[in-house]
Amino acid sequence: MSERIGFFICHCGINIAYRVRVKEVADYAATFPGVVVSKDYLFMCSDPGQDLIEKEIKNSDLTRVVVASCSPRMHEKTFRAACQRAGLNPYRAFHMVSVREHGSWVTENEDEATAKAIIIVRAGLMRVTNQNALTPSQFSVNPNTLVVGGGIAGMQAALDIASSGNRAYLVERQPTVGGHMLQYDKTFPTLDCAACIGTPKMVAVGQDKNVTLMTNTEVESVNGFIGNFKVNVNQLSRYVKSNCTGCGDCAKVCPVEAPNEWDVGTKMRKAIYISFPQAVPVRYAIEKKDRGPCVQTCPAGINIQGFVALIKVGKYEEALRVIMEKMPLPGTLGRICPAPCESQCRRQEVESPLAICQLKRFAADQVDWEKLYVPTVEIKNESEKVAIIGAGPAGLSAAYFLAKKGYHPTIFEKAPFAGGMLRFGIPDYRLPPAVLDQEINYIKRMGVDIQLGVSMGKDRPVSSLFNEGFKAVYLAAGAQKSRKMNIENEDADGVMHGIDYLGQLNLKNPVKTGRKVVVVGGGDVAIDAAREALRQGASQVTMVYRRSRSEMPAVKHEIQAAEEEGIKLELLVNPIAVLTEGGKVTGLRCIKMELGEPDESGRRRPVPVAGSEFDLECDMMIPAIGQQVNTSFLEGTEGVELTRWGTVAADAVTFQTSFPGIFAGGDMFTGPSIAVEAVAAGQEAAISIEKYLLGEELAENRPVKPKGSDWKAIPKKVVVTPRAKMPVLPVGDRVGNYKEVELGFTEEEARKEASRCVDCGACCECKLCVDQCKAEAIDHDMTDKRETIDVGSIIIATGFDPMNPSKMTQYGYGSYRNVFTNIEFERLSNATGPTSGKLLKRDMQDPMKFTTAPKSVAILHCIGSRDVNHHEYCSRTCCMYALKYAHLLKDKCGHDTEIYNFYIDMRCFGKGYEEFYKKVQSEGVRMIRGKAGSITEDANGILTVKGEDTLSNRLVEIQVEMVILCTAMEARPNADEVMRKFGIGIGADGFFQEEHPKLAPVSTPTSGVFLAGACQGPKDIPDTVAQAKGAAAECLALSSAGKVEVPPMISSIDPDVCVGCQLCIGLCPYSAIEFNTFAGISEVNSAICKGCGSCAGACPSGAPKVRHFTDKQIFAEIDGILLN
Amino acid sequence: MSEFEPKIVAFFCNWCTFTAADLAGTSRLSYPPNIKIIRVMCSGMVDPKYVLKAFLNGADGVLIGGCWPGDCHYINGNLKARRRVALVTELLKQYGIGEERFWLRWIAASEGNMLKEVADEMTAKLKQLGPSPLQNKGQMAV
Repeated sequence: MSERIGFFICHCGINIAYRVRVKEVADYAATFPGVVVSKDYLFMCSDPGQDLIEKEIKNSDLTRVVVASCSPRMHEKTFRAACQRAGLNPYRAFHMVSVREHGSWVTENEDEATAKAIIIVRAGLMRVTNQNALTPSQFSVNPNTLVVGGGIAGMQAALDIASSGNRAYLVERQPTVGGHMLQYDKTFPTLDCAACIGTPKMVAVGQDKNVTLMTNTEVESVNGFIGNFKVNVNQLSRYVKSNCTGCGDCAKVCPVEAPNEWDVGTKMRKAIYISFPQAVPVRYAIEKKDRGPCVQTCPAGINIQGFVALIKVGKYEEALRVIMEKMPLPGTLGRICPAPCESQCRRQEVESPLAICQLKRFAADQVDWEKLYVPTVEIKNESEKVAIIGAGPAGLSAAYFLAKKGYHPTIFEKAPFAGGMLRFGIPDYRLPPAVLDQEINYIKRMGVDIQLGVSMGKDRPVSSLFNEGFKAVYLAAGAQKSRKMNIENEDADGVMHGIDYLGQLNLKNPVKTGRKVVVVGGGDVAIDAAREALRQGASQVTMVYRRSRSEMPAVKHEIQAAEEEGIKLELLVNPIAVLTEGGKVTGLRCIKMELGEPDESGRRRPVPVAGSEFDLECDMMIPAIGQQVNTSFLEGTEGVELTRWGTVAADAVTFQTSFPGIFAGGDMFTGPSIAVEAVAAGQEAAISIEKYLLGEELAENRPVKPKGSDWKAIPKKVVVTPRAKMPVLPVGDRVGNYKEVELGFTEEEARKEASRCVDCGACCECKLCVDQCKAEAIDHDMTDKRETIDVGSIIIATGFDPMNPSKMTQYGYGSYRNVFTNIEFERLSNATGPTSGKLLKRDMQDPMKFTTAPKSVAILHCIGSRDVNHHEYCSRTCCMYALKYAHLLKDKCGHDTEIYNFYIDMRCFGKGYEEFYKKVQSEGVRMIRGKAGSITEDANGILTVKGEDTLSNRLVEIQVEMVILCTAMEARPNADEVMRKFGIGIGADGFFQEEHPKLAPVSTPTSGVFLAGACQGPKDIPDTVAQAKGAAAECLALSSAGKVEVPPMISSIDPDVCVGCQLCIGLCPYSAIEFNTFAGISEVNSAICKGCGSCAGACPSGAPKVRHFTDKQIFAEIDGILLN
Repeated sequence: MSEFEPKIVAFFCNWCTFTAADLAGTSRLSYPPNIKIIRVMCSGMVDPKYVLKAFLNGADGVLIGGCWPGDCHYINGNLKARRRVALVTELLKQYGIGEERFWLRWIAASEGNMLKEVADEMTAKLKQLGPSPLQNKGQMAV
């Protein structure tokens, strides 16, 4: 049958006809082969226009129809329906050509526009005869709706959906619904309070049985299509369970404070918080980030942020409890730890790291250790005995943690005292023995048995302990053997190794100290030995170190203290021989060194300078160049392997040695290291030993160290506060005695120092809230909850952000105290805000304090709106809320308050708006037509606003006490991300784009996804609510129809052509193509295919085709365009 | 003799560039009439043979308009288009058709002004290059 084509061209009033000579186009079409009807009409989309088409189809037996009018995105559906009514398959019969958007409107010249129209009409006429009949598929519609965003738009839409009996899933990112509207005070033009009209909606979405409210929740991905979406959401952990009663007891004890986001930082909140008293759900939330770098760095994993925060609020015993969860020797390590944590402290981005170590000592010094509470633990059976060799930090720590778990540890210590190196190697002026004793006593009170003066070895091998009933053994004997220097006369009288010297002194044994002493080495032991010698009566103490000062491993402030006390440092000097006379030391021959290439430790290797030998006179020489492990106590024990450095070999994770049941840790395993590492080792050993005793796999389910770097941002305007200086004993009072040199912080100093913490992890996990909560609703280990929701339609109501005006420096926002943004002013005026609704100025010193009411206020319109440098659009709400502010100021601060409105034009277009404008004007508000150009602040905080009054052509300068900036409404910063998730578009202004600016204001290019509220463009509350109701109606229409037609333009693979190469399978973004192994070809699953044509574009044999976009159809169009 | 008017065939993605062309219209941004638009669902469905066919039929230039990387309505069709365009460009060069005649541009639905700029620029460029070397030589029967 030969084709009978009808051609219809629209004038579109004059929109097409003013540029395109439509009659000429129709005349051309009439000459085209197959065209039997060619007509033009004024409005083809109108009823008579559609009638004309339908009649011609019937009267002239048309088989194909081409309409040349507007864009197919506008009226393709209209004309397809007309063709269908007239009995044609619209996909086969109809094609549309855009001679308006792509013709008359974009072409200046009439001849050119007409010529272009003829060419594209020709292409359309050639295409249409190649089209095939298609039938849209029908799918059922899930009646539920997802609403994204819990502001007034989202709440209204959810309630409308719910009232129909269908389910609405309301997803909100913040911990409460409400949105910007609930931050406001009054609403224009009726001045009813936002809370009065907004909170009932909040309560309703919280209670309606057809609304599933999901706060703290984000949409992660969306799959499916109209009527059948699958949405993956992630409910972020808020660490408070749903049985929270909202009593607020937790917030009262929380030591961490942060500016409240809901109050835009005008008020503080705690780390466990509720945004505002009327929040829905009335359920607290904890702001928690990754653990701070200090916590991550501490080898023992002490919750540093936790105890620091508790010191800040004066809760010292609680602070100590936090420390002792991970470390039983706080007073001791608080004095001697080199504090690796401090090197990572983020406060140094401001000025210097927190004095974490000294704060730890402060906490330990505040309590009476004799009365310190011993936690009750479930005591294990008496046979669960563990032997520990060595009462140093590793041994004590392992014993402490085992006792905390209820086991029965016994420590065997060779020396007549406990403490190991802490006692033996550290002088009393740094660590008074009483401090160590009280902590060891506490460990004993925990149930640890310490047996002193017990040697292990040949007579009582370690392995025999198992026969004595111990079920596991921990080796923690340390590294106490001094390393030799290997130089001439090293064993002469007058040479005493540093560690032995300190040990004898600490044991209060008589030691003969020389008059002139030389100490060799640059570590802590060397420094301690030198300072000890001074206290023992040496008149001259010299330290010899082979590298330079920056390479000295000793704690920096200890080096400084030594120098202050008069100790001389000989740097870049190495001893080569001990000089003797009659077997006694008389001096030390040294050679000067210089620094060469870096060695494997990263430090530059010292190399001798030839011929630079010199002698140092002395009568005592103390080498302190390091220690080694002494494993003589393992004599008689077979099967414990050693490393080539002489340390005990053990697994790096479980610390078990090659002898099952024997574990090792501390210096014994690592070689000489710092005490806190030994404490950490003890902690890990206790975990391994418990697992060993329970018969569990040692390496599995061990606690993981916290990691990550998603920390709280450091506020930009943090006040620089220098690090607290540790008060010390005057130098003159130190020599010749053992008084403690560092005196410790006063309470005031400690609390001030603690308050410098920048709360990296937000919540400090002190867990005071857990103890307070009677409902037991707090769960610090809560994890995110992911789920998939099935819905048929989606409403996006993600709202807007008020622009931050700090980049417009001419207005001084952020530096001038009394320049407010509109939202800040709303919070001031709101009864739940920082001033309980009073309109007050900020204190010039403290921005969180508010003082007196302003006598004069300037309100600046269009800040960031109608401004080519920021946003060209009008934010539509500012004029009206500026009038509202003027009214509120007059109302709350007195009628004599001077108010100046700097405006460009007043846009009071809504119902009752103009009347409100008149009313406010009659209250005596000054209106100045002209945008304010700049603000300056004088020393008293008075603000001078400069601008031009364009009505009187004068420059004006007005002095006021407060300025309010009416900032632009702008798209959310993550709009791009939302756009991609939901497959919608963004307009040039950054807001989501509706399908049509007038006729489809809530639809998007993705069917089934609708827009509501300010995410689509700036709008006020009435318009937002109206649009929300519109979007809800769209969803309900869909649900009520119950089924949906999906366009049939999807892919199909010609089974006769497909060779089964499966190239298309890898390309399909929806995995819609499957390989039929039986037939050896690929096949399209039409329920999944969306018709992108990736397969069609790539197939080497041309087997897949997207229906309605086949090669033949496209080729015909190309031919039509290029026909000569 | 009148000025040479290049013939440009444009394949525009329905979701971005085609919509941008509509927006250019509603914004009354005029551009040369040389560009004739063929609507496709995705730049990723533009088969190389469409491009070759257009040149064989006498087009002086071919323009493909797709969504910005990451914004594809079909996840990643535009990236497939980008790969394919790179290959087709090589092929065109071997046939003696300069790569300046074959353009791929990312134009979002909101970028009506950009569409105009590209149309202006491409028309001007092709006027400067003159007619395609295949002009009137390779008419191919459909």
